[in-house]
Amino acid sequence: MKKKNFFLENKQFTIFFILALAVAGIAVFAPWIAPKDPLEAVMMDSLKAPCAEYPLGTDKLGRDLLSRVIYGTRTSLVMTLILVAVIFVIGTALGIIAGYFGGWIDEIIMRIADMMISFPGLVLAIAIAGMLGPNLTNAVIAISAVSWTKYARLARSMVLKVKQNLYIEAAKVNGTSTLKILWKHVLPNMLTTMVVTAAADIGTMMLELASLSFLGFGATAPTPEWGLMLNEGRTYMAKAPWLMIAPGIAIVIAVVIFNMLGDSIRDVLDPKQE
Amino acid sequence: MKIKKLVCAAVIGAAVMMAGSAASAEGTATIGVTSFADTLEPNEQYFSWVISRYGVGECLARFGLDGGLEPCLAESWEANEDGTVWTFKLREGVKFSNGNDCTPELVKASLERTFEMSERVPGFFDLASLEVDGQNLVFTLNTANANMAGCLADPLFLIMDTSIDNSNIETAGPVCTGPYAFQSFVPTDAAVVVKNEYYWDGEVPFDSVTLKCVDDQTTRSMALQTGEIDIAYNLKTENVFEFEGNPNYEIQQLQSLRSTYAFMNQNGALGDLALRQAFLRGLDKETYCSVLLEGGATAGKAPVPPTLDYGFDELVDENAYDPEGAKAVLAEAGYVDNDGDGYVENPDGEPFSLRFVIYTSRAELGVYAQAAQANLKDIGINVELETVSYETLLDKRDAGDYDLLIWNVLVANTGDPENYLRENWYSTSANNTAGYSNPEVDAKLDELAVTFDADARKDLIIQIQQEIMDDAATVFFGYETTYLFNSTRVTGVQMYPMDYYWLTKNIKLAE
Repeated sequence: MKKKNFFLENKQFTIFFILALAVAGIAVFAPWIAPKDPLEAVMMDSLKAPCAEYPLGTDKLGRDLLSRVIYGTRTSLVMTLILVAVIFVIGTALGIIAGYFGGWIDEIIMRIADMMISFPGLVLAIAIAGMLGPNLTNAVIAISAVSWTKYARLARSMVLKVKQNLYIEAAKVNGTSTLKILWKHVLPNMLTTMVVTAAADIGTMMLELASLSFLGFGATAPTPEWGLMLNEGRTYMAKAPWLMIAPGIAIVIAVVIFNMLGDSIRDVLDPKQE
Repeated sequence: MKIKKLVCAAVIGAAVMMAGSAASAEGTATIGVTSFADTLEPNEQYFSWVISRYGVGECLARFGLDGGLEPCLAESWEANEDGTVWTFKLREGVKFSNGNDCTPELVKASLERTFEMSERVPGFFDLASLEVDGQNLVFTLNTANANMAGCLADPLFLIMDTSIDNSNIETAGPVCTGPYAFQSFVPTDAAVVVKNEYYWDGEVPFDSVTLKCVDDQTTRSMALQTGEIDIAYNLKTENVFEFEGNPNYEIQQLQSLRSTYAFMNQNGALGDLALRQAFLRGLDKETYCSVLLEGGATAGKAPVPPTLDYGFDELVDENAYDPEGAKAVLAEAGYVDNDGDGYVENPDGEPFSLRFVIYTSRAELGVYAQAAQANLKDIGINVELETVSYETLLDKRDAGDYDLLIWNVLVANTGDPENYLRENWYSTSANNTAGYSNPEVDAKLDELAVTFDADARKDLIIQIQQEIMDDAATVFFGYETTYLFNSTRVTGVQMYPMDYYWLTKNIKLAE
């Protein structure tokens, strides 16, 4: 009963939560949804316009675009979630360590973070991905390397605030171990804000991954990935515009859904709203 | 009232702008190019090509529209009987673009600068001495060379003024004898060339020409459509569609002398002949060229394309497209898929994949590589594509760090395929990092170097090609058709089979 009320009260959240589940569903059930094998090249059907057999047309090698867009959901979503999880965990952990222990360790972590934000994020990511060589794992590493700072700074400032509370002093006096204090008293008091930030970041991160792939520093052929598909279609823009329209719209839809979901989560969780 | 004023201002503004652009366009032209030159030092890498293409550098001889040799800075040349002494008679009255006389001594000094600075010279000829004799230049060679004039027509041997201070040649560019001279050069952005007042071969039509680097094919095509550039080099079949039937544009095409192929590194998994044969038999090159590239290339099988008469049709390709045959070869040699992942394991039962290194700046290379990957998946060979920049590709080639590596090259850079064959398939050549070695090929290449009779040369070249094909040494994907698109604002734009000449004195404004 209570649950139903929650979903009804937060209509926006409910709508976008369902849509996000649908996107995740497409990713998970791609092999059953996609009409064709996304890697199967029927070269005689190169650059076919959308028709009954190929609802979204085919690409240069005669691969079914609809199947590739569907499988692309898998690549994009999985990699984005991994990316957000990585920066969330690393950033938060480093931020807590810096904030709680202070001193030289704080200096080191935060100065590295300062260094990282003194460059435009995507440019630095391109440089790192360029050095590591193009593939999706390296793209995730590159974006993680430039994006963790945001979480570290946020976590650090919140730890500094929580640290001054009397219950932390009390725990210390009781002889609670540092690890336990961090785990039981510090982390729970900041997790909400961190999760909200992470949720709002999913859309942005998805875009950054697609950008790297588009520029040739992310996914490599023949992986069905939206950014890469956009890049492959660019050469044939005048002749076969569907090559860019399909993955382009897929990116827009996915990013809008996850941005709105992030917004809704913030509205639901943000204590100021209550 | 106010609106009227605004409209008035806008109209006047537009008129001024139009007048302005028309005025500035008078006597100038803009050409959209792809450029790989970081500097204008002609002896670095292949940067002399750029200097020649931009209408600045000239050689003793040049290649004409039919690919044949024509006199340029040398009026005529002759060899002694055994081809070890070559005498070039230099043209009189030629001046450099700074007004200095282009004397035989300066020509000699310029060539000596190249001999000293470039590591590529030994690939062309083996020089013993170079002497000035009146208006003649006498080359004495250690080993005979049948094609000395063709070698000296390679842009590497362009003639520049060495009597001046060349300390900032990287950005200022060399002073040469061509119709244009460098005014400014910004790598990856643009080069501006201006009229050479002292040009020896007639009037130069433009006061200045801007050669703008537009590396992206789509952007280059759009720049031509908007009138930002007047001529666009290196556009492809897919752009024909954008300009066809439009009276404002001219499209030229030429079955080129370029060959696209992939080295197979025999120091790795591809050391096994059976695997190489299966690889070649798995590729449907006919479909790549006719369907995927929409006729933008001719399917390949041999080192030298059919545009040159070196027996393309006589050559027997025992590794033509035959997927069933490929599977049979694999099975026979012990490549079987035991773990059921769709890819065969090697005869030791180890799973393996082949790393195919390609670069980005030529779109068709990606099409070939991806199509090959899809085709080979069908016969069970796992190919991984590695897309890198051209510079990285060069490093990987030199380090031998690849299984397959794409290459796109002019097959007759000296007017004859000898240099190309030797560079790539001679066992000790520096470019042959794939570990290909066939004593027969080496012996025939050595014989070719000292053979002067045209028919005997042709025979040898055919035999060498057959050997290379029988060894399944290299994947010959295709021979591309090159296109040249220009707006009808300019005329006289011509395509040369040796693409050393882009901006020539013949390109002028249409009447």
